[in-house]
Amino acid sequence: MKKLVTQFGLFLCFCFPFYVLCLILLQTFSPFGVLRKNINYPIGGSGHMHSRMKEVQELSDLDVLFIGSSHAYSGFDTRLFEEHGLRVFNLGSSSQTPLQTLLLLKRYLDQLQPKTVIYEVNPYAFSVDGVESALDIIANDENDFLSLEMALRINHLKVYNTLIFGFYSDLFNIHKGFKEGKQKGKETYISGGYIEKDLAYYEPKSFAKSIWQLVGKQKHAFEEISNILLDKDIETIYVQAPVVSAYYNSIINNSSFDSLIDSYGAYYNYNKLLQMDDSYYFHDYHHLNQNGAKKISQEVLKLLMD
Amino acid sequence: MLFNSLEYLFFLPIVFIIYWALAKVGLSIQNIFVLSISYLFYGWWDWRFLFLIAFSSILDFFIAKGMLAVKTRRLKKNLLLLSFLVNLGMLGFFKYYNFFLESFFSAFPFLMNAKTDYTLNIILPVGISFYTFQTLSYTIDVYRGKIKPIDDLIAFASFVSFFPQLVAGPIERAVKLLPQFQQPRIFSYNNTVNGMKQILWGLFKKMVIADNCAEFVSFIFNGSATYSGSTLMLGAVLFSFQIYADFSGYSDIAIGTANLFGFRLTKNFSFPYFSTNLGDFWKRWHISLFNWFRDYVYIPLGGNQRGIWKRLINVFVVFFLSGLWHGANWTFILWGLLNACFLIPNVLFSAWNIDRGVESVSHSIIRKILGGAFTFIFVSLAWIMFRSENVNEAIVNYRVVFSESLLAWPYFPEWRRAFFLFFLLLFFMGIEWFGRKGEYAIEKISDKWPRSLRWMFLAFIFFLIGVYAHTEETPFIYFQF
Repeated sequence: MKKLVTQFGLFLCFCFPFYVLCLILLQTFSPFGVLRKNINYPIGGSGHMHSRMKEVQELSDLDVLFIGSSHAYSGFDTRLFEEHGLRVFNLGSSSQTPLQTLLLLKRYLDQLQPKTVIYEVNPYAFSVDGVESALDIIANDENDFLSLEMALRINHLKVYNTLIFGFYSDLFNIHKGFKEGKQKGKETYISGGYIEKDLAYYEPKSFAKSIWQLVGKQKHAFEEISNILLDKDIETIYVQAPVVSAYYNSIINNSSFDSLIDSYGAYYNYNKLLQMDDSYYFHDYHHLNQNGAKKISQEVLKLLMD
Repeated sequence: MLFNSLEYLFFLPIVFIIYWALAKVGLSIQNIFVLSISYLFYGWWDWRFLFLIAFSSILDFFIAKGMLAVKTRRLKKNLLLLSFLVNLGMLGFFKYYNFFLESFFSAFPFLMNAKTDYTLNIILPVGISFYTFQTLSYTIDVYRGKIKPIDDLIAFASFVSFFPQLVAGPIERAVKLLPQFQQPRIFSYNNTVNGMKQILWGLFKKMVIADNCAEFVSFIFNGSATYSGSTLMLGAVLFSFQIYADFSGYSDIAIGTANLFGFRLTKNFSFPYFSTNLGDFWKRWHISLFNWFRDYVYIPLGGNQRGIWKRLINVFVVFFLSGLWHGANWTFILWGLLNACFLIPNVLFSAWNIDRGVESVSHSIIRKILGGAFTFIFVSLAWIMFRSENVNEAIVNYRVVFSESLLAWPYFPEWRRAFFLFFLLLFFMGIEWFGRKGEYAIEKISDKWPRSLRWMFLAFIFFLIGVYAHTEETPFIYFQF
């Protein structure tokens, strides 16, 4: 038995570096990602996350911090708030779930010291495992113990593998020279974290009835976020950005999500509060276009000024 | 609890350590521990069905003891019939009740109104087909005088519920496994390492090959009406790999796990896709089930001994029963009969060769390759029946496969995502080929290599699991049987 324990221990000591080496070789050399499955390092991926993470390092003493999914970074136009003399930053990221929001707040809240946090919440973010958004953050921000904590909570091979590559990349500055253009396709990165999309209009379609099934670990992460903000005495406003009415009405249990968020503090569901013309204010079924972004930003600004 | 779950990753080392620590305390305590963890393992799914296993174990234990006690052969036979009645009755009720009901009302549609009165919402207990056959083999062997009834109920209950092979085999014979519960197990470093290697290879087969194939197989079969014959045939080929990797992967993990605890289980697969004819294939596929049918059905019916027609009938009976054993669906029964039909030339040819006194094994490489290819094609064609949801769907699928579109270039929109699978299948079959002389593929493949190379090879399999494993826990296909 002693021999077994010793040999098995030695094998594990051999296996781990070998695994890491193979992982690095695969991620670095496999053509077009077709040979990769459980690893994805989307540096400079969607939503200009790389530019946003670079910019956030330089900031402090904010009046308002926006956080949430793509609804946040393409919905709250930071320029409008800056015109009113507010120091703001939009820390939204693609498909951001409470698990990633928690990581970003733990990492940057003390540095940014915002007076108010506008937290964009949506039931989709509470219903998914958070893998894709985790990869986005791992690839575009420096990794630390918090990244490991997030990976353990998500507990997914893809996140573990990508994080291993992320630590390697950070350690050896592999992507130091990487530069993300301000303009990518139809999206332009605006200083302050906002993404402006070329104006496009939504073409209506129908949606089958469905139901949100919220994931336990996302609800726990949300509770933790709420406690952190409460402990630090930061005014927090929870906002649900609008989606097209046909899509919103196709979900059977919107009200249960509303009552959940309502129990944590001030909550504004703009699907209920605003009547918006789907084909004028929307880019696709759940993203606002620039007209919509302007409108929702004005509404949030009114809230802040009140 | 699934073998490919996080729970099992914690469960296995914990029970391994406690088990060997108990070796010093005594055999009966160790057996009580095996029984407890087996019940815990099984109860993880649904604790209510533990009563069923316990009942089956106690009943067969006492029936076997009764066989020893009774004086006349007739009473002995009655006890065997009681064992058959109860065990097959439970299997029939849980597995086939609604199927027979459905078939009955389909045959007599004018009685359809009464159907809802008789339909029951029955949950199939996991592994019932496996442990029923295992306990039956015990009472039959006691009846035949092959073994003596055991006096130790704990050892017998442990034999029936031994967790590595409880839910999907190999179906063990009392003659082989039961004595292992009556003798002290001795820890062996080599056996343990061997077991761990076999578990690793089984996990690779299940999580990397089977589950990745499953994704594309489902994709093709769910939209089979829209695809060409060639695409559907590709789906059938991928399903051949999926079901083999899934089931033999399970068997590898089961045998490997049993090895860790000092038990030897029956080899259940012997590289069947390298068979050169269908007869050979069925000697290498799900060996424990087909040996069961051979010993308890085929040979008692006369086997090869009563002429060619009787032999053919016996083959059809065995394949009909094997199809029925797989599940309560006509597709499984027809799958069994289809395989029996495919076997006819093989049976006739081997009988003809025996008559002429000619050796039926060919040594020509070309004949072996062609034989292997044809065997694989026929087996894959039969899997279409097995994989289809119902007979109507199977008929449509066969029509598509045997249409002109079989010659078209296979197409489905997920090619790019399937690219890595091609390399994985090459690696998998390559290793299986080079390791085909061993009990399992990687048993001897790296034995003579220096330790660094051997470890590198094993670490590479770990790496492949980490990078290509399907990330959702998916149950083994044979759990439904």
